[in-house]
Amino acid sequence: MVKTENERRRSSIWFRFHIDVPLMLAILTLMLLSVFVVYSAGGQNIHMALRQVFRLGIGLGVLLIVAQVSPFFYQRWAPHIFVVGVCLLVAVLLFGDMGKGAQRWLNLGVTKFQPSEIMKLSLPMMMAWFLSKYTLPPSTKNTFFSFCIIAIPTLLIAKQPDLGTSLLVASSGFFALFLAGLRFRILFGLGALFAAFLPILWFYLMHAYQKQRVLTFLNPESDPLGSGYHIIQSKIAIGSGGFQGKGWLQGTQSQLEFLPERHTDFIFSVFSEEFGFIGVLLLLAVYAFIIIRGTIIAIRAQEGFTKILAGSLTLTFFVYLFVNIGMVSGLMPVVGVPLPLVSYGGTSIVTLMASFGILMAISTNKRLLAA
Amino acid sequence: MKDWLNKSSKSNKKQAQSRRSANAKSLGNKSLGNKSNKQAKQIAKPGFNRWRFQFVIVSLVLVFGVVVFRAAFLQIIQPDRLLVEGDNRTIRIKEGTIQRGMITDRNGEELAVSVPVQTIWADPQQVLEYPEFETDVRWEALAKVLDMQEHELLARITNNAKKRFIYLKRKTNPVVADYVEQLRIPGVRLREESKRYYPAGEITAHIVGFTNIDGEGIEGVELRHNDWMIGTPSKRKIIKDAKGREIEVLEEEKGSKPQNVVLTIDQRIQSAVYQELKKAVQTYEATSGSAIVVDVKTAEVLAMVNSPSFNPNNRNNVPLRSIRNRAITDTFEPGSTMKPLAVINALDYGSYGTLDLVDTSPGYMRLGGSRVSDPRNRGQISLADVLKYSSNMGSSKLALSTPKESFLGMFYRMGLVDYSGIDLIGESTGIFNERRRWSDIEVATLSYGYGISVTAAQLVKMYTTIGAGGVSKPLSIIKTELKKPEEQVISKEIANDVLAMMESVVSVDGSGKRAIVKGYRVAGKTGTSIKAVGGGYGNDYVNVFAGVGPVSNPEIAIVVVINEPKGDYYYGGETAAPTFAKIMRQTLRTLNVAPDALGESKIQLADVKRESSGD
Repeated sequence: MVKTENERRRSSIWFRFHIDVPLMLAILTLMLLSVFVVYSAGGQNIHMALRQVFRLGIGLGVLLIVAQVSPFFYQRWAPHIFVVGVCLLVAVLLFGDMGKGAQRWLNLGVTKFQPSEIMKLSLPMMMAWFLSKYTLPPSTKNTFFSFCIIAIPTLLIAKQPDLGTSLLVASSGFFALFLAGLRFRILFGLGALFAAFLPILWFYLMHAYQKQRVLTFLNPESDPLGSGYHIIQSKIAIGSGGFQGKGWLQGTQSQLEFLPERHTDFIFSVFSEEFGFIGVLLLLAVYAFIIIRGTIIAIRAQEGFTKILAGSLTLTFFVYLFVNIGMVSGLMPVVGVPLPLVSYGGTSIVTLMASFGILMAISTNKRLLAA
Repeated sequence: MKDWLNKSSKSNKKQAQSRRSANAKSLGNKSLGNKSNKQAKQIAKPGFNRWRFQFVIVSLVLVFGVVVFRAAFLQIIQPDRLLVEGDNRTIRIKEGTIQRGMITDRNGEELAVSVPVQTIWADPQQVLEYPEFETDVRWEALAKVLDMQEHELLARITNNAKKRFIYLKRKTNPVVADYVEQLRIPGVRLREESKRYYPAGEITAHIVGFTNIDGEGIEGVELRHNDWMIGTPSKRKIIKDAKGREIEVLEEEKGSKPQNVVLTIDQRIQSAVYQELKKAVQTYEATSGSAIVVDVKTAEVLAMVNSPSFNPNNRNNVPLRSIRNRAITDTFEPGSTMKPLAVINALDYGSYGTLDLVDTSPGYMRLGGSRVSDPRNRGQISLADVLKYSSNMGSSKLALSTPKESFLGMFYRMGLVDYSGIDLIGESTGIFNERRRWSDIEVATLSYGYGISVTAAQLVKMYTTIGAGGVSKPLSIIKTELKKPEEQVISKEIANDVLAMMESVVSVDGSGKRAIVKGYRVAGKTGTSIKAVGGGYGNDYVNVFAGVGPVSNPEIAIVVVINEPKGDYYYGGETAAPTFAKIMRQTLRTLNVAPDALGESKIQLADVKRESSGD
């Protein structure tokens, strides 16, 4: 039975082109949804919707290309890519362009480029490479080195400042470590250390605007027109969707421009207002499906590097999702993280699609290698 | 520690035949190296491998659960409040702005107009964006032009730091507004408002009334017909976006346009009457005075003035007593001006004929312990003479000659216990005690105007009815197309007879001789009453003269009230009568009423008079 199924799968055209069909279908569903929601959120701007289609198309291309590459290629080049990525992050801090008060962009003349996006892929690879090189679970010494590897890009990105991305990057590294078998003793120790570190973070490292966000999160109604504005408007948008939603293009909060950043970070609010609780459940189901599929790929992966990498990418995707939804629904402080695959925006889509490409490469390559 | 990664290496032993495991073995060993394999062999415990994997799955499920619950909380448990909040942000009811209607007199003369003026306001938040504003010389200049201390002005800004709108000065003159505009202080702006202006000032102040600073009428016609003049602004329920732009109109409610109010007042007459009354009040050192001029044919009020008056354009330090429209709010005992009523009643009931005589001898009588008396015994006198000489005995006899109900009913018929119809807020209906049993003395005193209080408006209505041949119409102050209800309350003959009798009052030997108007035949009646104070009567008088003219074709009814004259004159015939005469003459001339006593220096006496004196 198993054999025949495997034979069938391997012989299918999808398998030959390294496409994981269930994952692909879920991604395409989200992409389709993305175009419609972006059209609505962007004030029914057809050009914006078309640009999103274009970007999704590029993302799809990237996915297909990345999927063709053997995971072992990434394993071989992981440290090199990581070093280049760190150098670029340093370059951003030195020569980067400012945008919205943060130095995130590297101007390449032709196009602007965000090196922190590379790091979203590069760090999990680096961690997977490093951890799988040595005994698993990692020794205390290797755990310490791992933390150093995580800390370098995280701090560089946090310095830009880009709290959202640094959080994602750090969690991707941490998930790799966790999946590699980080001792629970160390895990709890770290938890305690983090709690102890919080005051230092609050008083010495966080920017005023970041502190304001946390305070606003704790009590958004304290300043409804100032820092609490985003979150209040967003909660109203989500809540006023009700059970069935107001219908596509009918959301007042979003259509009438009360919601800030509604086509990017707050697109979930637009979606919730227009499609209601039913829509939210369906959307979350699609996301859950992707995450489950990613986890299955990770479980089925047959050696350390691919297992750790697939698991880390999947869990990072989940964090991505949770941070965004948590933010717009008032569960978390405002952190600039887009809703994966649905939000309008080029770089994050390309990075995400690349990570799915890697997942697909991992899911389809093992058997070819085995053969 | 073991982990789920080792699951593959472990499972390859347990499920050697599985293809997947086989692959994993061959490759896993290569890539992971011997070390990891060895360790897996050493410490691997079956339960632990799953543990980490399960931990991840459980965490995922939990977090998903939290997100779903959060969405459910916002969208299903809490949505009503958030729906309302959403609507609060988008749905607005917009009222169109309109300018208040004008008030004009019957000839279109403007009595109250709205003029656009500038109001200076500030947005403290915007002002405070520039911290150096405290040292800005422009603020000093602003304070100066607004007539404020600079530190006061700055304190008003800083005390309202969170607000987006505070008034600095409302309704300034254009010069100040221009100056402020040129200062260009960030956060200080102008807004157009309208200010009410009263060109006629104190002359029409009591009728027109005034508005408060927000443009709502609070006195006079401004108050009574406020809704009319502001109209109903059109209302639109709209959806707006975050920038306040209008997106969609949900409902539209057409408002009514603001209407101009046209008064029945003739500003020419009003002005003349005001001057005369003011002069009279000063001359006779009276506390106050009122005068009403009514068109007999239509019962429209042509003039209604009070003195002292006030300037409605600047109401600072105006005492409240000056604001009262005494002609309709203040009541007084009408005194002898009530005597025609006794005559009318006797004629109407039939107890006396027009030509009958009244026996007033011996000049006094006792009624239940009280005394009614005339200054001297006039013996048998005609009805006209009762009025001419203002005989208390005569009017008492006439009143007592009919059933009491008949006499008391006459007060109702002549509108003395009812609203005059002028229909302004604050109008009084006078005081008339409705007893079950009236004693003779009470009826007698009532016949010469004691025991009842009326307003000048009620009194002029009674005289208007007499002048109009017994047809009673409500007085009015607003011009309308509506036909007034009219009622024949006494017969035309009686009305004309009484009018003719009253003409004898305004004769060279009558009590109202000072009311004679050259060139016109005028009928009227004097009245002097002692003001009641705390249970008795004091030393103050109310002087009244009520009259109609010209007698041949009555056009005008006038009542003049001089309240508490302090000078040498304190009889109605001495103070109110001459004022009446001046007012009557000016009014008749203004209205181009043809003189009916041309070429006669003597007052022509009515037939009644001649016949009765011939008796």
